[in-house]
Amino acid sequence: MLITLQNLFKVYRMGDDTVNALDGVSLTIAAGEFVAIMGASGSGKSTLLNILGCLDTPTTGSYLLDGIEVSRMSRAQQARVRNRKLGFVFQNFNLLARTTALENVELPSLYGAGLPSRRRRARASELLERVGLGNRAGHSPAQLSGGQQQRVAIARALMNGPPVLLADEPTGNLDTRSSAEIMRLFTDLNREGITIVMVTHEEDIATYAARRIVMRDGRIAPTHERQETVS
Amino acid sequence: MTPWLTLRIALRAIARNKTRSLLTALGIIVGIAAVIAVVSIGQGAQTMMMEQISSIGTNLIMVFPGSRNQGGVHGGTGSVQTLTAEDGEAIAHDLPHLIRAVSPIVRSGGQAIYQENNWSTQIQGVSVEFPDVRNWEVASGAFFSAADQRAGARVCVIGQTVVDNLFPGIDPVGKSLRIRNMPFRVLGVMARKGSNTMGHDQDDAILAPFTTVRRVLYSSVFNNVSMLLVSLHSLDDLPVAKEELSKLLRQRHKLAPHADDDFNLLDMTEISNTIGSVTKLMTILLTTVASISLLVGGIGIMNIMLVSVTERTREIGLRMAVGATPGTILLQFITEAMALSTVGGIIGVAAGIAGARAVGRLQQWPILISEASVIAAFLFSAAIGVFFGFYPALRASRLNPIDCLRYE
Ligand SMILES: Nc1ncnc2c1ncn2[C@@H]1O[C@H](COP(=O)(O)OP(=O)(O)OP(=O)(O)O)[C@@H](O)[C@H]1O
Ligand SMILES: [Mg+2]
Repeated sequence: MLITLQNLFKVYRMGDDTVNALDGVSLTIAAGEFVAIMGASGSGKSTLLNILGCLDTPTTGSYLLDGIEVSRMSRAQQARVRNRKLGFVFQNFNLLARTTALENVELPSLYGAGLPSRRRRARASELLERVGLGNRAGHSPAQLSGGQQQRVAIARALMNGPPVLLADEPTGNLDTRSSAEIMRLFTDLNREGITIVMVTHEEDIATYAARRIVMRDGRIAPTHERQETVS
Repeated sequence: MTPWLTLRIALRAIARNKTRSLLTALGIIVGIAAVIAVVSIGQGAQTMMMEQISSIGTNLIMVFPGSRNQGGVHGGTGSVQTLTAEDGEAIAHDLPHLIRAVSPIVRSGGQAIYQENNWSTQIQGVSVEFPDVRNWEVASGAFFSAADQRAGARVCVIGQTVVDNLFPGIDPVGKSLRIRNMPFRVLGVMARKGSNTMGHDQDDAILAPFTTVRRVLYSSVFNNVSMLLVSLHSLDDLPVAKEELSKLLRQRHKLAPHADDDFNLLDMTEISNTIGSVTKLMTILLTTVASISLLVGGIGIMNIMLVSVTERTREIGLRMAVGATPGTILLQFITEAMALSTVGGIIGVAAGIAGARAVGRLQQWPILISEASVIAAFLFSAAIGVFFGFYPALRASRLNPIDCLRYE
């Protein structure tokens, strides 16, 4: 298994109150899966995805990524895991302002194993080409549409060739057409072997995923998982 | 991430907010500029003074009558008239291996008159050895002779300033000038020597045999002199020579073993040390003031870096999300602070050099820009950046990626 979660808890203390954002989540995801996480607002989807992304640590429980326990790693070690194994796509794109698309895509490689700058540049242009923005390399985020920005963000997530792509409502800020483009890109990437875990609460976006997980009050709802493929 | 890349990112971040960066660096710029200017001017002044001292002659010992240790009630140096020309002769006679030449000096002042010109100047009674002692040549004519000295003849040798004022366009050699209504025949003119350390014009003097000056101008019945000017063969002998001189004079003056010296030895290294320590003190004082400016500048950098960390919280979060470790973030912000202060330092060095040059040109003052002070200023400004950038950078590195990404 690529991802194995066992009895994951995330507890927030607010004065006397405690909130169990995750209330005992166990889950396995195999390499090459395309998973959609759904559920009501506040059900713990983002919390779960952040822990999967090593951006956050669980209060208790175990998270094995590629067979390695990552939830108890130091901050620096987690940073290295994020750099090599995980790609992120955010709802609000999170591109660096006043920085070209190409440089935004390059960013993860700056923190990784020292690739010479020419090779970095070449790979970044290749990825921009791949997401259909080969002619926009010199544009800054402000000069790009929302859909284009999100495609730059996807190219960035792929820069270091991670096995896993994590996306928290990647189409949340996009119109239907752009959303469909992004989802087609995800489907293609998944076909090429990348594991994708995506949070969404849009039914038609979730249909692109082969597997669906529904969260309810910090737990995985006991619905029988539907297996579908996109036509 | 390579250091070069870290530096490039830092420089871009600085360039992004040019006005703000410049204002932030202003404290450093002013501080460094002040230090460079002060040090350049100070060192220039010091070298100039030292050069002038060596033009007087560093291998000189001045012997003054009176004790160095005497307090107010006894009066200062020179008030006790115990030093004689014979002391000088004895020194030259007894210590030939150390001493090249000795000249007594008897000082007087007065107005010299030639025809309708008159000029107030210093009249120095010296011995025939004087040109040798001072390493000062006669430009035209000749110095007075031993016979003139013995006879107390009314003859003199004059400096260039006296020539300019009393004998404009006239060859003074062979002419007679009058001092206190007594005629003195001019035997020669000394070579131009220039001003000494204190701005005193050394060419503004009339040199006459000390015997003449003492008898005729001082009307002194005693055999004492204002000072003895002793020149050494070699500066290396200075400590030995001072010791020997002291021994000889104590013996000649019949001082009891525990009695204080009734004379006072002063050498040029001592004088230059005094000047050195005065200029050093000035430099330290002004550098302290400049350091306060640097401190304020450093705090300014810390302040703006804290603002910058807050403003760029999302950027920090994103960089962490794609793999920046806390260490990388720490380094990036320290580098940014360091680059900011170093750029300030470079501008400051340039401004300081320009300022020092301007002062130098205005004051006819030599400027000495030492490489060491430029390098020190450069390193120091970088160190300020590292020091004051550390805390903001640490704050940035301790941020949680998920909190940063959520930050509005
Ligand atoms: N930093 C925090 N401090 C306190 N409570 C938090 C924190 N982060 C999340 N929570 C709580 O944890 C629960 C789950 O939050 P989460 O963001 O995972 O929900 P979500 O499913 O992503 O919702 P949405 O669909 O609105 O994005 C919520 O009740 C939220 O209030
Ligand atoms: Mg959410």
